[in-house]
Amino acid sequence: MIEVKDLTFTYKDEKKPALQNISLTVPDGGFLGVIGPAGAGKTTLIRAVSGMIPHLFPGDFYGSVSVNGLDTFETSLPEISRLVGTVFQDVDSQIISPMVEDELLYGLENFGIPREEIPVRMEEALRKVGIADLRDRTIGSLSGGQRQKVAIASIVALRPQVLLLDEPTGELDPQSSRQVFSLLKELNEEQGTTVIVIEQKIMLLCEFSAQLAVLNQGRIAWQGDTRSVLLHAEELLALGVNCPRVTTLSRILSARLGEEQPVCTRPEEAEAMIRRLIR
Amino acid sequence: MTDLFRYVPGNSVIHRLNPVTRLLVTIAVCVAAFVSGNLYYLAGLLAVDLLIGFIAGIPGKTLTIFKGLLKIALFLFVLQILLVRRGTPVLWIITDEGLLTAAKVVLRLVIVCMPLALILSVTKVSDLTNSLVQVLHVPYQYAFTLSTAIRFIPQFLEEMSMIMEAQTARGVAFDKARGLKKFSMILPLCAPLLISSLRRTDQTAAAAAVRGFSLRTRRSGYKQYPFTLLDLAAALCSALLIAGAILL
Ligand SMILES: Nc1ncnc2c1ncn2[C@@H]1O[C@H](COP(=O)(O)OP(=O)(O)OP(=O)(O)O)[C@@H](O)[C@H]1O
Ligand SMILES: [Mg+2]
Repeated sequence: MIEVKDLTFTYKDEKKPALQNISLTVPDGGFLGVIGPAGAGKTTLIRAVSGMIPHLFPGDFYGSVSVNGLDTFETSLPEISRLVGTVFQDVDSQIISPMVEDELLYGLENFGIPREEIPVRMEEALRKVGIADLRDRTIGSLSGGQRQKVAIASIVALRPQVLLLDEPTGELDPQSSRQVFSLLKELNEEQGTTVIVIEQKIMLLCEFSAQLAVLNQGRIAWQGDTRSVLLHAEELLALGVNCPRVTTLSRILSARLGEEQPVCTRPEEAEAMIRRLIR
Repeated sequence: MTDLFRYVPGNSVIHRLNPVTRLLVTIAVCVAAFVSGNLYYLAGLLAVDLLIGFIAGIPGKTLTIFKGLLKIALFLFVLQILLVRRGTPVLWIITDEGLLTAAKVVLRLVIVCMPLALILSVTKVSDLTNSLVQVLHVPYQYAFTLSTAIRFIPQFLEEMSMIMEAQTARGVAFDKARGLKKFSMILPLCAPLLISSLRRTDQTAAAAAVRGFSLRTRRSGYKQYPFTLLDLAAALCSALLIAGAILL
């Protein structure tokens, strides 16, 4: 379980806190989507959960963050890192090695994964992310999207209990983006991995994440299960967060018909709703 | 340029040598080149260089590097024969001793540069750094610095050309300028590039830290680098090269 309690964090030499009074809970095996405008503090939140704040980024830290019972302030970074895997927003600075294979090996070697298990985990991660053919390539010869997949695979190979992803589909085409989210769903459902993912494509969040948190100017504007957050479509739009068209449709219908309709997040649900209403 | 250092996969004798042995051979050739004053022996060492390239299965690349070095060598050769004043004149201001020294300097330059370039193109950086850590007990921090530096070279060049393209689109004529002029045009671009790569270094350090950088020990490496009979043979050859240089 991830528990953030009343967290306020100000980067060193900054005046304004990047996060203010953040409280949120993600249960074991939960799936939280985070969305919000640029500079809202999304990356900062991920840094706090991964322990990079306060261990690598100095600043004023109030409140507490605990991951599976470990207080990030008191636990050493390597210890937290055994539980938490992080995919960075800037893929290019995340990738350390000159070759794909070494990038996957890096974490596995450091955390002392048994020798015989390493090739199994590597192959599995490469296959799941769909880049088995890139194994022997140099990083320099890959496209942005391919590099992003390498970064994801290198973290998936570590099989962390908690998986944090900072805009993992930024460089990906729509099909690969869905593929990444399907993988997150698979890990979440089959291995009970707790997932927190920052994502700008609201459609993907609606479809895959159970919980949604909307950040704005360092504060949580809304949080809760995805459907209930989507009820605030108009206010969300004011923050630059677009709701999917199906959600807008169900909202308009609720208003026009004067009776509350369930919030739809998928086209199939909207279809079912319309059929029901016509009848 | 980037292509010159790109890793060429293969299964040649050189590929099968322990990376540390490859480094040893390189160093042996260099030492032999500096110890030996015998022109014929130096020519022989040059042949050894070429042989290494051919055995490694990269004859094309070997010749490219060789030709590139020859150009620099020619320039140095002319400079040397004009500068050396000792000995008896052969032609105009050129002396016999000048010719001899020039030949040696140039040969040494080519001999020393070649194996380094060749070995780097048949050795993965990670294999080199991992084996340095495992076999020679080089502290991991240094190995890490080396391999990340190499990791970021292509990216640095890519960003450089991106900035130059952006500047060209704004009317800066990089392509027309040459030599010092071009250099003075590129120099101001280095500052923003350096700042952005410094910021990135911070991020990369963080990325390494959350993947257990501090837990890594000498024995963490998955790949092992055992020494074989092949390495023994290569080491013997290296010793012979140096011995020959001393004796002849
Ligand atoms: N390393 C840092 N040092 C100082 N201030 C920082 C640092 N990183 C972020 N900030 C500041 O903290 C605030 C929140 O930034 P953060 O990167 O968390 O936003 P974000 O929601 O991830 O934005 P984006 O969508 O652009 O990635 C911003 O005002 C930013 O300038
Ligand atoms: Mg961010």
